[in-house]
Amino acid sequence: MVLELQKPRPIWQIMFSTHHTDVGLLYLITSLAFMFMGGALALLLRVELFSPGVQLIADSMTYNRIFTVHGTTLIFLFILPSASAFGNYLVPIMVRYKDMAYPKLNAVAFWMIPPAGALIWLGFADFTWYAYPTYSVISAPGPAADMWIFGLKMLGVSSILGSINFVVTIMKCKHPDLPLSKMPLLAWAYLTSSLITLVAVPTFAAALLMLLTDRLGASGFFNPVMGGDPIAYQHLFWFTFHPEVYILVIPAIGFMYEIFPRFSRKPIFSHSSGMAAFILLTIVGFASWAHHMYATGMSFTEKTVFMVGTLAAVPASAMHTFNFLATMWGGRIKFATPIMWAVGGIALFFSAGAGGVVNSAMPLDFITHDSYWVVGHFHLFVMGTILFGTVGFIYYMFPYVTGRMYNETLGKVHFILSFIGTVMVFFTQHILGLYGMPRRIYDYPAYPEWVQMNIIVSIGAFIIGISMAIFLVNLIWSSAKGKPADMDDPFGLGGKYYFPYQAKNPSH
Amino acid sequence: MKLIIGSGVVLALLAILPSIQYVLAAGDSTGEYLDRRVEIWGLFYRLMIVAFTVGTVVSGLIVWLVLRFRESNPKAKPTSYEASGSW
Amino acid sequence: MRHQVRGKMSGHSTWPEWVYVGVVVALLCYVGAEAWNIERIIEHVPEDAKLIKVQGQQWLWTFEHEDGTKEIGELHLEKGKAYKFEVTSKDVIHSFNIHDYTVLMDAVPGRINTVWFSPNVEGEFPIQCREYCGLIHYNMRGTLIVEDKGA
Repeated sequence: MVLELQKPRPIWQIMFSTHHTDVGLLYLITSLAFMFMGGALALLLRVELFSPGVQLIADSMTYNRIFTVHGTTLIFLFILPSASAFGNYLVPIMVRYKDMAYPKLNAVAFWMIPPAGALIWLGFADFTWYAYPTYSVISAPGPAADMWIFGLKMLGVSSILGSINFVVTIMKCKHPDLPLSKMPLLAWAYLTSSLITLVAVPTFAAALLMLLTDRLGASGFFNPVMGGDPIAYQHLFWFTFHPEVYILVIPAIGFMYEIFPRFSRKPIFSHSSGMAAFILLTIVGFASWAHHMYATGMSFTEKTVFMVGTLAAVPASAMHTFNFLATMWGGRIKFATPIMWAVGGIALFFSAGAGGVVNSAMPLDFITHDSYWVVGHFHLFVMGTILFGTVGFIYYMFPYVTGRMYNETLGKVHFILSFIGTVMVFFTQHILGLYGMPRRIYDYPAYPEWVQMNIIVSIGAFIIGISMAIFLVNLIWSSAKGKPADMDDPFGLGGKYYFPYQAKNPSH
Repeated sequence: MKLIIGSGVVLALLAILPSIQYVLAAGDSTGEYLDRRVEIWGLFYRLMIVAFTVGTVVSGLIVWLVLRFRESNPKAKPTSYEASGSW
Repeated sequence: MRHQVRGKMSGHSTWPEWVYVGVVVALLCYVGAEAWNIERIIEHVPEDAKLIKVQGQQWLWTFEHEDGTKEIGELHLEKGKAYKFEVTSKDVIHSFNIHDYTVLMDAVPGRINTVWFSPNVEGEFPIQCREYCGLIHYNMRGTLIVEDKGA
């Protein structure tokens, strides 16, 4: 436990600490704050898109800035730090070591995030979270664009430093009696996602630097006027950011590997299948990046190669799904809040993946590219799978972090409303895309189908918003005044709550 | 078993029919060009059939698992791991 | 959470998982083969397709027919003929999209991308931009007008 609000520790003690539980707490609070902020931006967008014409946002540039910061915030300032949060808490425990391999570096990696977040939010760039040239070079207004570039540079370095820490802690600091093959699957999730980070992220660091020098006029990497090629940026960007989506999803799958066996009261169906699936995804995930670029004028052969690479990554995810369902089979499952989120997450993971298989078919890109189909698809992953898995794990870890129980009824209401809202918003957006509505548009013509569906989507978004407000209330109130939890078995499952090697925070 | 054979037949049909249509289709002469809309949306509908078939199976399985193995189900019995208290 | 491990990791049969993975791989092969085939069919440009040069710029579309006729925002084509678009941009990346005819191709500065189609229904169809290009991306629209010129 580190957050005991009834026995408060001085805040500077947590802020200057290098102990993994304190750094984990800092990551957790930061990521949750950005989750609420980024989500609020989405609600602004949905008010504006409720119907044609101006609702709330007076001009298109403001709208463009809002969706750029919405995406940037939720990916880089919520999902990644929340994965780091639980990694910091649990990886040392799972490998039976006293802390992370480099505690001071760990704190440094965290502290790069608030300034980076400040740069992004104070700048409020408008060029989408992709920042494609030539728009980002010749047309996007500064200093917002440059602040975004610097902010992302810092976040990239933070990610790389954190990943080095995870890899060294797991590979070098783990207990000598613990072979890698017996390590919990959540630790495998951190190992593999960190390895992907180390290979993929430096490419984007290069691309950012080149974008900056292009903007300053000192180079022409991506500017055809100076002999460059804007498509080169897209290759560099997607070479990082396709594997990035696996960096985002793998920890959430890892969280589910904790929740399903625990609440089913039996071990995971196949530990080796889980390991194999993580390793397979890590390798194959690098083979598919240009499926994001089917519309850029690639040759038939190029498109085919990337379609094959995309499809090759599907069996790994299918193996995880099988593992979870086979774990539930024959169990005696207590449907408390964490496993409701995990089951909902798997159902939505499947629908996101099914849409993804459809997306990999090159000709269908002519229908769906840069339309709301894509928006619906990726949100089913980031919201439906990753957020559901993460929130489920937050509920599961709540007693561990605070020593108290959250309110179970509110937790279940949060889940039900979020699930209904997620389906309403993102399934409908698939259909909107089939009807041709482009993404990233401030306003749209009054085609009857677009109007009707946008209303459904906006209502669904507000249902999600209400559920998140309930979450916030539950988090804050229960941290301060929740019933003290039975730390051996807070969920009443029988068996141990957590790993036998509990974290010992030296300041307690 | 029947399900697997049935799905196999559906898939085979989905694969064969477009190929037959292509072979029999007219060539590229004035007024007889292929309609890209028909080809692309046709592919989309075929893949949707596959996706929704698999989706029905998977979601149906999830619903059944949740209902059958919940602890409040009358048929629920403790797992073999609950005796030792560790899993 | 301790794992019961001895020899074979799970201690029980895993053949259902192998069958399942086999089915998944078979389905993926089907998807891949179908997609490859359809793409191959639609990418074959007819020899007598007439050339239309399309240029996107912030925030409008301009067209140039083979005979030099230029149009801005509107494109008049004949029903039943084949047309090949050569798409490019003057400034930032746009994407030329006639959704009702599933025509979509990025307009990239410094590059010419090709896509072809044959309109077989007359009428008016929206043209939109499908790649974020700034302030008026949301309204970078045009109209395709397909006319039946008889014969």
